[in-house]
This record gives sequence, C-alpha cells and structure tokens, in this order.
Amino acid sequence: MPALFFVIGKVLMTKFNFTVVALKNLKRKPFRTGVLVFAISLLVSLIIFSLSFIASVSSSIKKASDRLGADLIVVPIGARGYAEAFLLESKKAEFYMNKNLIDRVKKIEGIEALTYQIYLSTIGGVCCDVEATRIIAFDQESDFIVKPWLKKAIGRGLNKGEAIAGYETNFNLGVELLDLETTIFHNKFKVVGVLEKTGTALDNALVMTEENIKDIVGSGKSPINEGQISLIFTKVKKGFDPYEVGRTVEGNIVEVDVVARSDMGKEILGTLKDINKIFLLSIVLSSILAVFLVWAIFSAIANERSREVGIMRAVGANESHIVKLFIIEVFFIGLAGSLIGLAVGTSVSLSLARGFKLLKNISASLTVLQQAEIAVAGLLIGIIICIAGALMPINRIKKLEPLLAIKEE
Amino acid sequence: MPQIEIAELTKIYSVDRSVITAADNISLKIEKGEFISIVGHSGSGKTTLLSLIGGIIRPTSGRVLYEGTDICSLGDEKLSEYRNEKIGFMFQFASLLPILTAKENVLLPGLFGSQKNMTNERKAMEFLEMVGIGDRANAYPSQLSGGQQRRVAIARALMNEPDVILADEPTGDLDEETEAEIMELFKELNREKKVTFVFITHSLDLAKQAGKQLRMSRGKLAVSEAEPLCAPAL
Ligand SMILES: Nc1ncnc2c1ncn2[C@@H]1O[C@H](COP(=O)(O)OP(=O)(O)OP(=O)(O)O)[C@@H](O)[C@H]1O
Ligand SMILES: [Mg+2]
Repeated sequence: MPALFFVIGKVLMTKFNFTVVALKNLKRKPFRTGVLVFAISLLVSLIIFSLSFIASVSSSIKKASDRLGADLIVVPIGARGYAEAFLLESKKAEFYMNKNLIDRVKKIEGIEALTYQIYLSTIGGVCCDVEATRIIAFDQESDFIVKPWLKKAIGRGLNKGEAIAGYETNFNLGVELLDLETTIFHNKFKVVGVLEKTGTALDNALVMTEENIKDIVGSGKSPINEGQISLIFTKVKKGFDPYEVGRTVEGNIVEVDVVARSDMGKEILGTLKDINKIFLLSIVLSSILAVFLVWAIFSAIANERSREVGIMRAVGANESHIVKLFIIEVFFIGLAGSLIGLAVGTSVSLSLARGFKLLKNISASLTVLQQAEIAVAGLLIGIIICIAGALMPINRIKKLEPLLAIKEE
Repeated sequence: MPQIEIAELTKIYSVDRSVITAADNISLKIEKGEFISIVGHSGSGKTTLLSLIGGIIRPTSGRVLYEGTDICSLGDEKLSEYRNEKIGFMFQFASLLPILTAKENVLLPGLFGSQKNMTNERKAMEFLEMVGIGDRANAYPSQLSGGQQRRVAIARALMNEPDVILADEPTGDLDEETEAEIMELFKELNREKKVTFVFITHSLDLAKQAGKQLRMSRGKLAVSEAEPLCAPAL
C-alpha cells in the first residue's frame, strides 16, 4: 500500500501545484499520517461491515417473503414461528394440521385461490441414502408456488417418483444428483433437475409432489400421518384487505394461525432493528471519536504550520487557498483510510458472513448495486469525517494576519 | 498621483495591559520608481511600517493608498491579490517553506496568482541564477546556508515581477561582495523596469545609496531626502 501511494505521489509531483505541497506536507510526518489513515480505515471498515450485515439480512428476508407468491399463509395454531423459520431461514421444522381445513379456508370470503404443502425432514443414514435434508411436497393441481420455478428448470410438472433439488440442496448433498436414484423413507426417487436460486425455502429442499407422501406414510418411518398437511398458501381476491381476510380466517377456524406476507419475518426484522441500533450507536460513537482525533491532530498541525501559512499568505495566498491546501491534505488521508477500510471491511464481512448462522441460513447476498452503494457511503463518510474534523483548526489558522501568523510559534 | 500614499497611519499593539505604538501617525508619499531606504533603532517600527505597506498587517487607523485605492478597505481576496501581484516582500527573518526545494519556494507565489507565467520553471531558474544559487535549485532550505536561504527569498520576491519591492534587511547576513551584487541587481531593476524599492537596513553605507532616506524613531517617521544621514543619535 505505501508503495502504491509513493507511485501516485511521484506521478502527481512532476508538476508543482497544490497537490504537491499537500503530499509533501503529508510525507513529513509519516507516523502521524499513518495513525490518521489507520483510524479512518478502522472506522470505515466498521461502517462497511455493519451496513453489509444489515442490508444483506433485511434484503434477503424481504426477498424471501416477496417470492413466496402468497398473500396469506395459514399454519397450524402455534406454529407461526416455526413456519417463518422454515420459510425465511430454512430452519428445520415440522408442523402439521388436518387436511380438511383446506375446505374450511376455501369457504372464507375473499380467498381467491389456495394450495398446500407438506414439509418433512429426512434423517441421514437410517432411512434414506442421502444426507439429512428437507422435503417439500406440493399439490401439483392447485399449486402456484412451485410451478413457475419448475417450469424454468425442466419445462414440465413432476411425475410420481420424481423429485427436483433446490439450488442449495444440490450443493449441500454434495453429489451430482441428476438422474440419480435416491432412497427416501424406503421409497425410490429419481432426481430430475435442479431449481434456480429462488431465495425461498425451496432452495434448501428436495421438492416432490404430494402423491409420493402416501407411500412415505405407508412406509411408517416418517413423522407424518395420512391426511396431514403443513400449511396452506392463499391468494386474496382483489379489493379485499389481506389483514381483514386473515382475521376472518383466524376467527372462523380456531385450529389455525395466519401470517400475512407483509408480516413475514417481522420478528427477525425486529431483532435486526435492535442490532441495527447497536451498530448505529457504535458507528456514531466512533465517528465522533474520529472527528475528534482529526480535530486534535489538525489543531496541532495548524499551530505547527502557522509560520508557513503566514508566509504563504504574505506571498499572495488568500484564505480559500489555505483552506484548499489543507482540504487536499485531509482528503488524501480520508481517501487512503477509506479505501483501506473498504478493502478490510469487505473481506471481514465476507469471511464473517460464513460464521454467522443467521447469514448462512438465509443465504444472504447483496446485489452489486447494494455493494456499490455501501462502498460509496463508506468512502463518503470517511472523507467527510476527515474534512469535518480539520475544518475548525483550518478556519482558525486562515484568519490570522500573515505577519502575526509568521511570528506565532 | 503617487504610487503609494500613506496617510495618518497608526499601528498599536496591545500586550496585556500595556500599549505599544509601533507606527505613530505616519504620512508619506512614494512615487513610482523611487529607491528608498529606512533606518532606525531596533524596535523603532521599521518592520511594522513595511508590513503595513505590504498589506500583511492591518493598521489600527489611517490609510494606505495604492494607486488611489485604500488597500485597508480591500477584502481578503483583493488584498491577497495585491500582495501577490504588486508587492515583492523580503522578510527580515528566514521565510522559506522547509518542505519545498529552493526552486519550489521561488515558484510558490505562482500557485496563488492568476498569471500563468508565474509557475514557469525556467523563469524561476533564471532568478535563482541571478542571485547566484542556480546550482542549488533542488536543495531544501535546511541544506542551505543562511545567506543562501536569503537569496532564495529574494528570488521569490522577484518572481512575480512586482511593481514594488519591500525588503526588510535584504542583505542582513550576506558578505560584502554578495551584498554589493544584490544591491546592483536592485538598482538595475529600479532603473530598467521602474520597480519601486523600499528597503530597511542597519548599514548607513547602504542607506546612503538610496534616493530618499527615511528614519524611524519610536514609531515616528523622519524624512531626510537626499541629505546625508548623520550617525544615529542615541
Ligand atoms: N505582534 C506584536 N505584538 C506586540 N508588540 C509588537 C508586535 N510586533 C512588534 N511589536 C512591537 O512594535 C515595535 C516595533 O517593532 P518592529 O518589528 O516594527 O521594529 P523594527 O524597527 O523592525 O526593529 P528591528 O530593527 O529590531 O527589526 C517594537 O517595540 C515591538 O516590540
Ligand atoms: Mg524589523
């Protein structure tokens, strides 16, 4: 890194100008410059890491709930948390209710369409010859959740005895599943394809049609009984308020809870808000600290250089020339610190993301645009903090009468 | 109209409770192309007067008119422009920036001026050669002797081709030979380019070379035009 700055410096210094003077000023106290750059880089990496964390978690939760493709999700009473954990964080969860609830939900006013799914988890080794994984069984006839993805992947529906792997499952199982016979709860399955990344629970599951469940139940080894389903996805008719419809469902059918799409992940997002606050507080505190540090160092610099400033003023520098000169200097400090912070912050975010359960499970990822926005924000904050801290001492020094500045020591 | 007209100029420094009148109701007219010396005891206010003319301190009261404009009423930008373009100031004390080479120090006024030719490196070299240190152009002030530093400062004051040169003991730490060379350079500029010179000296010999000789005493000015100066009274 220092070598790079040296090269940049050399290039900039070929012609005598403000930048040359600023860089020469920075060079004369390398340790002090280094301390400032280091402090700013720490701050910026904290900012980058916090912003990446917050943005990736909240955006993947939002994406997951948006892509569910349903307005209301009807779950067994008390299973709301499990359902969210399953859908948003791909956690293992098993919750079941009676299939005949479907007809009762269908009768509620405002429900346009509904479909149901059944979730179960396999256990590695005992019954099945694939690693422990989650199975999603859907009703092909009424389905509107899986169909669009299925169409993209294989261009047709699934037949009995066929399964399709979610995007992550394909990796997790570690085998090239295509056209492979696999045994699940003593039933043979042919894995016919891999779904695209959906950002939903489908990513971490082996997906099959509901007719297979009968055989799995028949095997007697699964936790599920005949006539049970996990949840019902519903679409609400235009002109109806999903919340209103949801309340009607809950009011009429005591056996179920209803989650509205816009409420999905509310709890995680709530926790996230607290984490947000902690991050925000530490960013604010360290920003204040950084401003203070820059202020202290530049106050010392201003005193040290008052003679030089006076000389420059005497040979014709006006106040804004002096400000410009110092601003270029702090700008370089801010820029160098922010760039280093950007590099460190990004790599820390990437490596820590693997260690954070929350991030791993929801397969959090940021778009290039989001990453660019965070980078720009970090860069700007770093530079602004430097300039903010230096402004006061600079304003004081520029106001001194040249001769008095020269004599002040 | 005189090039510079000073009217009832007073500069008062207040230190703690006491008050020092460094310039006391001074009035003076300077015509373009004059060659003026100032002598006086240490602390008599010579530097103060020169600094007031050069616009590097503001007076407590009174006016400094440059070609009819009161420079004390100028804003920061215009006043800086005045210092940059009209005045070449040579300080009594070392005044080079330590982080810049001799040549860069000479180029420094050019950074703040609007005229492009002021950043001309060739011109800077010419002036450095003129004062006899062309071979040390890339040396830093700390690598130069006191006299060499002073000569760099002289080259810097000449760089923007000012109309007026204000020199505070410009040859203070130079040997006689170099002193004579510098004085010769001044006279040449004065003669050929009509540059106005006001210089402070403790050498009566040098003072006598001027067309007009001023004497400062306790902040007051006494003009002794073309008449030879007597030894300073105690
Ligand atoms: N910044 C200041 N604050 C207070 N008093 C000052 C200040 N600058 C100068 N003085 C006082 O003003 C008076 C004139 O000072 P000035 O520097 O003009 O003297 P000088 O004639 O140039 O002396 P020398 O020959 O020693 O350079 C002195 O008494 C000095 O103590
Ligand atoms: Mg003096």
